[in-house]
Amino acid sequence: MTDGTDSNGTEAEAVGGKIRFYRFSNRLRPKTGVPPGATARISPEALQKAQVAIDDMAEDYPDWAIGHVDLLAERHKRLVFSPESRPEHYKEIHRIAHDMKGQGGTFGYPLVSTIAEALYRLTATNAKYTDAEVEIVKAHIDSIRIVLQTREKDPESVTGKRVQRALEAVIRKLR
Amino acid sequence: MADYNFRSFRILVVDDSASIRQLVHSTLDIIGVGHVEVAAHGGEAVEMIKKSAKPLSNRLMQPGGSSFDIIMTNMDMPTVDGMMLLRWIRRHEESPDRFLPVIMVSSYADPAKVRDARDAGMTEFVAKPFTISSICSRLISAIERPRQFVQTSGYFGPDRRRRDLPYDGDNRRFLADDSPEVEIISD
Repeated sequence: MTDGTDSNGTEAEAVGGKIRFYRFSNRLRPKTGVPPGATARISPEALQKAQVAIDDMAEDYPDWAIGHVDLLAERHKRLVFSPESRPEHYKEIHRIAHDMKGQGGTFGYPLVSTIAEALYRLTATNAKYTDAEVEIVKAHIDSIRIVLQTREKDPESVTGKRVQRALEAVIRKLR
Repeated sequence: MADYNFRSFRILVVDDSASIRQLVHSTLDIIGVGHVEVAAHGGEAVEMIKKSAKPLSNRLMQPGGSSFDIIMTNMDMPTVDGMMLLRWIRRHEESPDRFLPVIMVSSYADPAKVRDARDAGMTEFVAKPFTISSICSRLISAIERPRQFVQTSGYFGPDRRRRDLPYDGDNRRFLADDSPEVEIISD
């Protein structure tokens, strides 16, 4: 048994042809105040309170998420007016779509996540940067805007389905 | 059943999205985590982790060198992303605690991305969109079920084999604790 001291912590020096297993005692569990061997949980009241906090944030989500949609729309304009710099603007749209993909579902808007994910994939490295594709990008941005403006949380609702069908129709027409 | 008390925990939340930072911060706050700090990207997190170093001169290969207990980081961020941050924590000589539990949060839930993060030494993975329960369950897993760390020429991080599952083909799991190639380090 050694104390594991490593003079500079570099990978090459540390191994020297050996495989090391580091087995240290659990430092974190004793900090929770739960006696050894006892089972524990996070207080249900705290979990409930945390859920309420998320719900409150979700209430405001459409208002500030529209700011992201405005940024997407701004980038789309540049795609139209500066075709030579489409890769650069695609990259930014791709990044914002990724962010929205993660936020939508978390704040109770799964349809935002679904459309943002489609936009994220559309603007990935295998994008074609054609005029038709730029139109499809716009259709995605418009769809997200509608979902947020109508505060539509349910993908299976009349509005939810209408938005999805309209987007699919644009994609079919332009591809 | 007892309730966990996280009052003495210090957790760093790293996310480029202000709303997600706020959300995770609030959640951790409400479940009683005593000290929650936030960083907007990996570079800021590296500086904060460096400053969190405890005076443990020349004892880099020991856990507990940072006053942070857990790092919860988004995977995809501009400039220094979660993967770079994870690699820095696990491999860099200036990292005060190469054993820090790192919970990776990402909307890249595809298996290849999860594998990349696992191979870089992550402790737990939370897919976005996340829920209160997915955050809390990974937090508890990091606290209750820490794995041994493995160091080979190509990997340093928590044991990637969580379970001893059956497999097809030849047995390539030759090493035992008493094998000459194996060194066990413990406290």
